[in-house]
Amino acid sequence: MSRYRPANLLAIVTLLLAACTGVGASIPPANTPIAAAPTAAPTLTPTLAPSPTPTIEPTPAPAFPITLTDDEGTTVEVASEPQRIVSLTPATTEILFALGAGRRVVATTDFDDYPPEAVALPDVASYTAVDIEAIVGLEADLVIAGGNFFNPPEAVARLRSLGIPVLVVYAPDLAAVLDDIELIGAAVGLTEASLAMTAAMQAGFDDVATATATLTRPRTFYELDATAAIYTAADGSFIEEMVELAGGDPITTGSTTDFAISIEKLIAADPELILLGDAAYGVTADQVAARAGWNVMSAVKSGAIRAVNDLIVTRPGPRLVEGLRELALAIHPDLVLPPAVPIPAVP
Amino acid sequence: MASRGEALPRPGVRVGPSRGIGDRPSALIGLGFVALAVALVAGVGFGSVAVAPGDTVAILAHRLLGLDLARTWSDAAETIVMELRLPRVLTSMLVGCALAVAGATYQGLLRNPLADPYVLGTASGAALGAAIAVIIPVRFVVLEFGLLHGLAFLGALASIYTVYRLSRVTGLAPLTSLLLTGYAVGSLLAAGLAMAMYLSGAALRQIFIYLLGSFDAATWARLAGAIPIVAIGCIGILLRARSLNGLLLGEQTAMHLGINVRRERAILLGLASLVTAAAVAISGLIGFVGLVVPHVVRLIVGPSARAVLPISAIGGAALLAYADLAARLLGEIPVGVVTAVLGAPFFLLILRRARTGYEL
Repeated sequence: MSRYRPANLLAIVTLLLAACTGVGASIPPANTPIAAAPTAAPTLTPTLAPSPTPTIEPTPAPAFPITLTDDEGTTVEVASEPQRIVSLTPATTEILFALGAGRRVVATTDFDDYPPEAVALPDVASYTAVDIEAIVGLEADLVIAGGNFFNPPEAVARLRSLGIPVLVVYAPDLAAVLDDIELIGAAVGLTEASLAMTAAMQAGFDDVATATATLTRPRTFYELDATAAIYTAADGSFIEEMVELAGGDPITTGSTTDFAISIEKLIAADPELILLGDAAYGVTADQVAARAGWNVMSAVKSGAIRAVNDLIVTRPGPRLVEGLRELALAIHPDLVLPPAVPIPAVP
Repeated sequence: MASRGEALPRPGVRVGPSRGIGDRPSALIGLGFVALAVALVAGVGFGSVAVAPGDTVAILAHRLLGLDLARTWSDAAETIVMELRLPRVLTSMLVGCALAVAGATYQGLLRNPLADPYVLGTASGAALGAAIAVIIPVRFVVLEFGLLHGLAFLGALASIYTVYRLSRVTGLAPLTSLLLTGYAVGSLLAAGLAMAMYLSGAALRQIFIYLLGSFDAATWARLAGAIPIVAIGCIGILLRARSLNGLLLGEQTAMHLGINVRRERAILLGLASLVTAAAVAISGLIGFVGLVVPHVVRLIVGPSARAVLPISAIGGAALLAYADLAARLLGEIPVGVVTAVLGAPFFLLILRRARTGYEL
């Protein structure tokens, strides 16, 4: 082994361990689209215009075969209604189950955690690898993978070379999540269900945006992780958009690619509210208050440190409305939201 | 210059008790081929999906020997055996063979027992090339080979070329100069790699997987691309076994034997680097094989390159094929972990049984 390895391997292993335990935010723990999209510029409109989906061909009667363009611009042909679907990200698994295609899903990843039926399915992907042999063995007729390196691009290319259609989705912002749901709906023959779902979700987003529009916006620091470096929302990131919609004034890193913020910058930004996206990993308000140098921040002085369920806030799936509502209530505890628009339930 | 070169420890050893098979390299080679055949059958037969042994054999007979058999297997089983497992097993053998031959050559050339195929900066160069390929936002594929494999190959060759050229302008003995220049250039490239990894964002995992080394991405196309390079390199080195033996005895002795030391050293270095570059391009960085296999072989059959090179080639191929099978069955753990866990205790055992020290 060459000389550089012992030194660097330690750092690499630390990073990977952090990713596996979900503590390090340098690598998204779930299908968290926290890195800036290479192509689509994230838009930060408080009310999201329902976007037409140009990728879906007008399909009145026979939905298949269908030709779709995925989020990486690849043309994907789905010959007939998929009956053996493999989902390689937790978010797409949730979308498939929420659309009513859950019974056609044959395998997911070993880090899927919702819904329970999905957890029980065979695992064909880990954080580092995709078990191509297992996917071929399951005779999958559609694979839905995550872009922006969530699943190794190598594995995607390999599956395609073996004749298995792979739809790669990657949502850098809320509007793109809705587009992805409609794209997946079209791919599995559930276009109408997906349109109903995105309409309901859009209404849910709008409700929160309207309710928080006139409120004072506290300077909000959303903590992804602070075990080594301090990780928070990058400029133009998904989390920034969520915090803005939920009625906060997000503190960002000042870069679109870097998710780490220095303690000096954070103190200078003086958060009035600290949201703990890492609460699930055992971080508490007391621990934050006890960190060296943090006691000068307004949020620590006033005790405005609250836990949020990072999974539903940052996972680009059907529970985002729930996540946004939770986020809005964490930022404005006295907020009264209209009753949640039910996401159409499907058998 | 030559006398200073002599100061380095020399690989070359006599083994006391376990002569037996070591006296008959041809028997060892035969044994090696049997081990390879078993590895091939086992490697194609086992995986994360169970394919019946009968079906595996039938698929191989049907596709490789063209036998017209009644189809008892599914398309999926055929794809798994022919497109996924077979190229993977063959790639692991090719890479094992390449690394072991390159390692034996570097150890002989540099007369340093710690030399491995990566010692002169090839690993750092390949890793930096791969990292750059992952970061640049272009998806460019030629012959399924991909930018990553291409840049890793070029990175390995560019770094060794740089090391060789820079080593020529120092006033040190050639071997010392090569090793120290390799260290300096390697450190610089490692810094570049660290920077590339820091900047890589979500792509970090892909670079990390490359650094660990894996045969997961083996395809027929990549195998076909690497085979000629490795074959030409290995045969070229084998044909120069006499020069390698001469160089092993020291620069002055080699000159007395009529060997053009500088020219032979450059050619052998070039061939070994070519073979290493092809191996790291298709498999990433897999350690241990290139360092230890030649040592084990030398401890068994003695230092002559004529025996060490071919037996190392077969031993390396078999070791990596079995290691990859174990890695797959254990749930795709890094193959480098398996080679070290399997190989290190075996190496220690061989060392204990060696009667004499490592130096002549």
